[in-house]
Amino acid sequence: MDHSFDDVWAECEDLFQQAHETLATLKEPQSSHVVQAAINALFRTTHTLKGMAGMLGFHSFSRAAHRMEDIFDLMRKGRLRSTDSLVETLESGVLALEAGMADLRRGRPEPEDYLYAIRRELGELEALARPAQGGVQDLTSMLDLPADALKALSEYERTRVTALLMSSLPIHGVAICLDFATFDERLKALSEALGAQGELISTLPWDVPEGLDGLAFLLVVACSTVDLGALPLLGGELISTALLANPDRVPSALKEGDSGQSAEAPAPVEEAPVVQAPPLAQEVEILRLPALRVEALEARLMAVGQLRDKASQLLRRNPGPLGEHPIALMTQMEEGLLEVQKSLLQMRMVKIESLFSRIEPMVKSLSRDTGKPVKLTFNGGELELERSLLGKLSEPFLHLVRNAIDHGLEPPSERLALGKSESGSIRITASQRGRNLRFDIRDDGRGFNLERIESRGIELGLLKRGQSPTPERLHRLALEPGFSTKDRASQLSGRGVGMDVVRAEVEALGGELHLSSEARRGSLIRLSIPLSRAVVSCLKVRCAGQVFGIPLGSVIRVQAGRPLRHGGDQVDVFGLSLPLESLQACLGLPEPDGQRSYVVLGQQGAASRSVSVALGVDEILGRGELLLRSLPELAHAAGIMGGSAQEEGVLWVLDPEAVLGLAMDSLMRRVARV
Amino acid sequence: MDLLLATLDLREVVASTAVAPLPGRPRGIEGVVFYQGEFLPVLAWKDLPGGSVPEGEAGALAVLRPRLGLPIQRLFGTIDPPSEAWREVDEQDPTAAWVSGICTMEGLQLRALDPARLIALLRRFREDR
Repeated sequence: MDHSFDDVWAECEDLFQQAHETLATLKEPQSSHVVQAAINALFRTTHTLKGMAGMLGFHSFSRAAHRMEDIFDLMRKGRLRSTDSLVETLESGVLALEAGMADLRRGRPEPEDYLYAIRRELGELEALARPAQGGVQDLTSMLDLPADALKALSEYERTRVTALLMSSLPIHGVAICLDFATFDERLKALSEALGAQGELISTLPWDVPEGLDGLAFLLVVACSTVDLGALPLLGGELISTALLANPDRVPSALKEGDSGQSAEAPAPVEEAPVVQAPPLAQEVEILRLPALRVEALEARLMAVGQLRDKASQLLRRNPGPLGEHPIALMTQMEEGLLEVQKSLLQMRMVKIESLFSRIEPMVKSLSRDTGKPVKLTFNGGELELERSLLGKLSEPFLHLVRNAIDHGLEPPSERLALGKSESGSIRITASQRGRNLRFDIRDDGRGFNLERIESRGIELGLLKRGQSPTPERLHRLALEPGFSTKDRASQLSGRGVGMDVVRAEVEALGGELHLSSEARRGSLIRLSIPLSRAVVSCLKVRCAGQVFGIPLGSVIRVQAGRPLRHGGDQVDVFGLSLPLESLQACLGLPEPDGQRSYVVLGQQGAASRSVSVALGVDEILGRGELLLRSLPELAHAAGIMGGSAQEEGVLWVLDPEAVLGLAMDSLMRRVARV
Repeated sequence: MDLLLATLDLREVVASTAVAPLPGRPRGIEGVVFYQGEFLPVLAWKDLPGGSVPEGEAGALAVLRPRLGLPIQRLFGTIDPPSEAWREVDEQDPTAAWVSGICTMEGLQLRALDPARLIALLRRFREDR
């Protein structure tokens, strides 16, 4: 990867993020001016992407972005109306460009057409656009053909394509490869035979498949079906046949009023009300800075914060004639800095539903392609993650979901035979666990084939015969580099990306990937990613001379000024007797002689009667909002989620779930000692 | 102990600041300091095999490229030792787990710190916990 492009990649990530958010707006019912503003924004985004790609020499990417820009241009000019299926296609286009950008970033070569998968849909969209004033309807772009082939059609041929589709005739393509010596006679014979089945619209030059010699042609014919048996084809002459355009995709509004046989262009659809450009105020967009610039600002702010802390310490050590006044000013400055830091953090964060919104169209499209109905549900979309993480997580995430549909879910007939519902289920849940964001991808499919994983493991020398590995070991094996139970990657999950690559990408983010499954019941893929920073509301407590923060979401009750208690005692809370353990014992600090305050900790989001412990502390200090920074991997300490820089040093923020575990362990050790 | 640090492995050398001790710190890590807006782990020399507690306070912090801070007392300067000055570390030498070779020059025995070995060692400490 060329690091000199870092700013450009960051800019592109931002543009894609904006595009996803704007497309999400278009999915909801909106007033016309909001729709127009959204389309204008998408037009500008694709225009910028086109320009940036062209500048960097990625011409294929630039062409694809230009194609998308053209569609948005048709929309903003009122020639194409925003519908659900249109937004879905555009979303697929944006996703394809985004995936293409990720590949470019990894240094992969450019494909011929980034939008190949939705070429047909894009062609239909262009074809169905209301003609410009004075223009005629042209449905040629509905043909599923490369742009060069479309350009080769004459004016007359274009008119025929339009007329024949309007008259509900499908258009097929028959690709043939003919011998150099006899191609003229053979082409004539085949054209005549095909002409007998329908209207032969055009004969286009075609690419000769690898390994064949001769001249290749594509015969474009309009007829209900192509009867290959009736064609005088010689062995090896036929390359392929394909449906190039389906007349059912032409809206009935376009066909109405047309005789169905006329070659004339249809009358333009009724004039859509012209959408006026919205007033400027409605086009105001939220300021978005590239992630790298936000990071630079944060680092600068951090340095200012440290200077403030030093100045504050000096003032405390050397009080001047102004008394407490400068210190009060310093406190105000601290509050101001925290507010700016929170605003910067906010600029870095996006809701997880942005990630979910990228998955939904892909699942719909895969469900259609595989013929597997999928019920997709999301939970936890309101949580936030860093924008930079969103870009890096998208591809591994999409791959995992693709895998679940491709390999996990059974076809409907197999599901029915197993007594399952016809539709497969994929449930994606996001939750915050301590310093990690956890994503669970569950499906109710067939589960991992552990027998096949085992035999493949033996084949690769990763397992020994007769070793009887545990299911956990076998699931882990599926994440090993180069491990694949399929000799050839399937078209869906293939793309040269295996689970090991997904694992590597997740681990590069400091995260973990964990697989589990049950035969015929389904699989669970758990992905944990550490948050590098967050603003956390905490209860501040003092313990062993240090200040700690406990996230308020896990605090059930706070008690101060109680009789002296010791670790291992029981305390009554809401009529329940709870075990008490000192925070010192949990963190391996010297144990106190007794404590008069405790905090009741419970599992976040769990039922009230689930695991809870009274955590003994030396002093309750109050609550506060803290800017939490995660600890680097080498400094991970049990029970600590991260730290927050404070004037008096680092305030450690506890990981409540881990502290609960440490408290239980400590209590068990006490019991064992007795 | 006198050490050699390859300049290519160094991000920079900064003035020493107070290390925030980590409760329940992992072996090999003393605590953290703020460096470029992030926490930087600081090595605990005393936890390394063959490592020793430095006398007096550290005067500086050498920041390695793999984001690890090494408290150091002072810098001697830079040298470009000839190949004949080098010898391998004995297998029995406890520092072999984090040192790549020993260079003898001007009566000084300088151990060349190997960041890759050191990080691997710290990770092993973590796994053994």
